[in-house]
Amino acid sequence: MTDFVKRKSVILLICIFLIGFLGPMLMAGHPSDVKGAPFARPVWWNAKLPLSSEYGVGDTTVEISWNKLPPEIFALNGRIAADPEKEVRIIWSTPLGEKTLDTLMGSDLYWINMDGRDMIFKQKLGLPLIGKSVEHLFPSAGKYSIRIEGAEESELSLSLPGGREGLLGTDQRGRDVLTLLIFGIRTSLIVGISATLIASLLGLGLGLATGYIGGLFDALVMRIVDVLLSIPTLPIMMVLAGLWGKGLWQLVLILSIFSWMGTARSVRALVLTVRESPWVEGLRVLGAKRGYILRRHLVPEAAPILLANIALGVPGAILAEAGLAFLGLSDPRLISWGRMLHEAHSFGAFTEGAWWLLIPPGLGIVALCLIFMDIGRFLEEKIDPRLGSGRNA
Amino acid sequence: MKNRWLWGRLFSSIGVLAAVLVLNFILFRIMPGDAVSTIIDPNFSPEAKDRLRELYGLDKPLLEQFFIYIKQMLTFSFGLSFLSRKPVWDELLSRLPGTLFLMAASMFLSSALGIWLGIKAALNRGKLAERIVLRAGAVTASFPGFFVQLVLIMLLARTFPIFPLRGSVSIPQPTGSISVMLDYLWHMALPILSLTLMGFGGWALYVRNLMVKALGEDFVLMARARGLSENRVIYGHAFRTILPPILTILLMSVPGLVSGAVITESVFSLHGVGTFLLEAVSGHDYPSAGAAFYMLALITVISNLLADVVYGLVDPRVRVGGRDQ
Amino acid sequence: MLDIRDLTVRYNSMGRVTAAVNGISLSIEKGSFTGIVGESGSGKSTLMAALLGLLPQRTEITGEILYKGTDILRMSDSEMRDLRWKEISLVPQGAQNSFTPVMKIKRHIEEVLNVHSGKFGEDAEKEAARLLEDVGLDAGIKERYPHELSGGQKQRAAIALALACSPALLLADEPTTALDVIIQAEILELLSGLRKSKDLSIILVTHDLPLAAMVCDRLVVMKDGRMAESGTPHQLVNDPQHPHTKDLIREMFWQRNKKDG
Repeated sequence: MTDFVKRKSVILLICIFLIGFLGPMLMAGHPSDVKGAPFARPVWWNAKLPLSSEYGVGDTTVEISWNKLPPEIFALNGRIAADPEKEVRIIWSTPLGEKTLDTLMGSDLYWINMDGRDMIFKQKLGLPLIGKSVEHLFPSAGKYSIRIEGAEESELSLSLPGGREGLLGTDQRGRDVLTLLIFGIRTSLIVGISATLIASLLGLGLGLATGYIGGLFDALVMRIVDVLLSIPTLPIMMVLAGLWGKGLWQLVLILSIFSWMGTARSVRALVLTVRESPWVEGLRVLGAKRGYILRRHLVPEAAPILLANIALGVPGAILAEAGLAFLGLSDPRLISWGRMLHEAHSFGAFTEGAWWLLIPPGLGIVALCLIFMDIGRFLEEKIDPRLGSGRNA
Repeated sequence: MKNRWLWGRLFSSIGVLAAVLVLNFILFRIMPGDAVSTIIDPNFSPEAKDRLRELYGLDKPLLEQFFIYIKQMLTFSFGLSFLSRKPVWDELLSRLPGTLFLMAASMFLSSALGIWLGIKAALNRGKLAERIVLRAGAVTASFPGFFVQLVLIMLLARTFPIFPLRGSVSIPQPTGSISVMLDYLWHMALPILSLTLMGFGGWALYVRNLMVKALGEDFVLMARARGLSENRVIYGHAFRTILPPILTILLMSVPGLVSGAVITESVFSLHGVGTFLLEAVSGHDYPSAGAAFYMLALITVISNLLADVVYGLVDPRVRVGGRDQ
Repeated sequence: MLDIRDLTVRYNSMGRVTAAVNGISLSIEKGSFTGIVGESGSGKSTLMAALLGLLPQRTEITGEILYKGTDILRMSDSEMRDLRWKEISLVPQGAQNSFTPVMKIKRHIEEVLNVHSGKFGEDAEKEAARLLEDVGLDAGIKERYPHELSGGQKQRAAIALALACSPALLLADEPTTALDVIIQAEILELLSGLRKSKDLSIILVTHDLPLAAMVCDRLVVMKDGRMAESGTPHQLVNDPQHPHTKDLIREMFWQRNKKDG
């Protein structure tokens, strides 16, 4: 047991479990919060891009020194209180001259929602409607400032989401990828493990039943196994997921229905061997009931095989879930690594060259698969010498 | 003798197909929601809705619908798509060659590469070559296919724009049949390459194990004792003997091949039956989805049957019953 | 014709060095029928393997094996391949596993005819049929696969295959183990007859002394890799010198008495 726990993959798995389940609780904010600009790079990539910054614009002028590439977005939000008769002007000063962003009059309270990407904004400033306005707002390195003229009271904030954000960048909506990654751990683990558990229990039950009862029941179930094994799994899962429902538990059930066959066959083979063995014969002669033999003898024999099968089956379930999610057939509200890859693929990660949307979730899937496969192989090795008789089916 | 076994395989293939048909039928009839709900505008009058139902035969009793369905499936008359109102069969037909080509090419390349490497590994036991092959095999088996493909696209279509980003053909299409074919191959290169890369590992490992076992058999030693050249012994005797199990695995790889093709088509936005199925399923287009699934299942069953037949031709022990053990 | 001089074959398994064959010197005359008798582990099978150059890589071989004057231990690979089957051939122990399962019997024979005797196509096929008839098999056997043949049929087919290229020396390694007594007798009779008709020299390897005594004109007893004694069957049965030979003879008579009693 101790050498099991000391194994690297087990330690990693425990760490991942902890991060995946405790992380979300400890983290402030929600993964769907927009943290920054869409497709922002990780902070350690391309230092020429600016980090995000935010400035409170009150009654005084705010001065900014700027020496990087323009930010992704220019957004000014808040309210201005003024005398309706007076003209209020919002002035943006660049090293190459001043620009009046807006002129307001006639009200005592103005709500400001300016975004550099809006058409109206570009029109007001006489900028080309196609292309980024921020490039014109930040023409060169130097000193910039923003001030409000003619207002009595102003409470504004200027946010300049930069091209770099977060440890792993942002996605097409501006959500932090690292947060998404951590929240996605749960989905992969829950779906992978529960689908495999259900499939294994189903396989165990049917394997025991067909092995012990035999006859027509056995023939029927084995036929079903053959048919199920010859149907292409992904297409039928697609049909079920797409038409029945994309929820988490529906996905788990769909995955289970198509993964029990292997376990059923192994268990059945085991039962067939053990059933004819002398000591089971002896038990029967002594009057032991079928159920007793099943419970007290066959199940413990099958348990080690089951454990190994489970460990080796989880990667399959994780991959299947990721595959279905990648195709877009999972719950959009559910954060999963497959879903992240789907959004990367469908929402233009390639055109942006946004590798940080592909590599983290992909590697996460690979890592989980490798970990479970290692555990499975370890369990298999442990079982083999002990179950010598059972293996020689 | 040979025929009886062949008929047996044919019969069981038909059994699987029948099960698929029934499954397909039940699946689409028990789905929540009225089958025509996607195409019915809520503003339609009840009479219009009824007429639509009548058009798609959904007003008849279930059993009658089943027989109509069977007839349709056997004659490949799949009706009209809910989404495009065009005949489903035409659409499927245009996509079938692409999917088949993808499957056949990747199966051929990955098995050929894998078998060659497996034999080389078996012949170089303990040396570096063998260890590399074994490592590669273990690694490629555990990577999720579509991830590898996405990375390949990022690397070879964007960072180094050698291959196109997506699609089966360029738009606009080039002129001249040779250019069209080259253009198609250029688009299919990355998908096929990625499937081959992911598939060869398993083959190499399997073949290596089989060869190692075969080379240790008595009859191989005897072949050498008869003064046959080493090449003849390796390929004519050892490899010849492991051909039947290789074909078994070829057979068993077909369902996986279909699934792999579906994902690959989505990743590369290829014009195939897989993407058609995805669009149909996502858009609740029942006729199209049912037809596409049926086609994929049909491909699977036929390839399995073909593989079985070939296996029977190659392994005499299956065809002609043995005398001992 | 065959002259084995001080042959020693050493294996190194798991750090321990064992000598399977330890200083054997032996001469085989042309046209003789020699029987090598020994229990399992006596080194007789290793000796056979050495004659065909089929010992595994990690063995150490010293001594000489002179066949028609040339030392076969020092031959190159291609010379060895020419020697095999054309000069020396083998009817292996357990013919069950010596045929390639996916090849027809006739293909086995035709193959060696192609490679060694330069016969192809129809010639080869006719020759194969003739060879099978010579060993008492129906010509239809050639179309069969190995698994379709009975134990006795396989043994005969193996003999036909071994004679395909008209070798000078035939090695028969336990050719009658796992066969019924009647078939055993038939096989031995076959071998004797073939020896005369094909002008063959035969070395018969067996653990069964009475068997060898029946057909061989000379017996060699091996124990633990060494030659215990050699002589005519008459000499060895009536006047054994070596203690091991005496044991074997006693065994033989004890078995005989058991059968009668």
